[in-house]
Amino acid sequence: MLIVVTGGSGSGKSEYAESLVMRLAAGPKLYIATMYPFDEESHRRIARHRLMRKDKGFDTLECYTDLKHADVRAYDTVLLECMSNLIANEMYQEDGAGERSAEEILAGVEQVYGQCRNLIIVTNEIFSDGIDYDPETARYQRCLGNINRHLARTADLLVEVVYSIPLVHKGKTPWDEVSV
Amino acid sequence: MILVTGGCFQGKKDYAFETFQIARKDAADGADCAMEAIFEVKLLYHFHEYIRRMLQTGQEIDLEKLQQENPDIVLVTNELGYGVVPVDQFDREYREKTGRVCCEIAKRAKEVHRVVCGIGTVIKRA
Repeated sequence: MLIVVTGGSGSGKSEYAESLVMRLAAGPKLYIATMYPFDEESHRRIARHRLMRKDKGFDTLECYTDLKHADVRAYDTVLLECMSNLIANEMYQEDGAGERSAEEILAGVEQVYGQCRNLIIVTNEIFSDGIDYDPETARYQRCLGNINRHLARTADLLVEVVYSIPLVHKGKTPWDEVSV
Repeated sequence: MILVTGGCFQGKKDYAFETFQIARKDAADGADCAMEAIFEVKLLYHFHEYIRRMLQTGQEIDLEKLQQENPDIVLVTNELGYGVVPVDQFDREYREKTGRVCCEIAKRAKEVHRVVCGIGTVIKRA
């Protein structure tokens, strides 16, 4: 299954995505971490996420760019967290894909999903604050928006998490989530 | 507890007053009410502003106490976090905190309603 989990910042989407992995996995689980630890705040965020999945039996693969070459063959279920960081890395890091970020990332997703049974991708809603950003930030928003739409088109399940409550926009879960 | 959330200017407050049949005099505005009001009123709106004030004064919301002393309160809050990461550190903290507090309230709440264009959808009913 290919699953996309989206939501705002602090909405509980990571916790929900992890719970999906726990329910779906029938074998080894991998967490692909994309947040580059560039300052104290990111270290704190990473520590919080590590703590959250501590006892859930994940292996962790740090992947800041070049998802295409991630080897996940040993895993049944993979959780990629999160798309918004991966895109920022590809767009702005020296070894990133720059202009070719979107296509490289989508190719990476295809590669990864070809190697495992379930891929769960956490992404982000950064599109509704009504603020007009500078052209560079707008380019980033557009890139994430495009990737989200591509992912959702092929995904079996698209879930938006609102303050810990999952709302299903596409597909069906065997669980009792709200369909919208 | 009941949580009502949604974007700004969506009619959340009117929806809540009507849906839960609460008189305006029994409500408090989270932007300027006394901090203790939350334990007494039937409805508190601008709950995100209440969280901001708590954060500004370095206080934590005691949800356990709230649930015990005012179990039927309706909290109306803006749904934050649907934008680009704010440049200002306090803004980032405030956005994050509102999210975490509302997740916790949603877990405890018997109902969560989300209002879009004035129309509410029950997204949780325990």
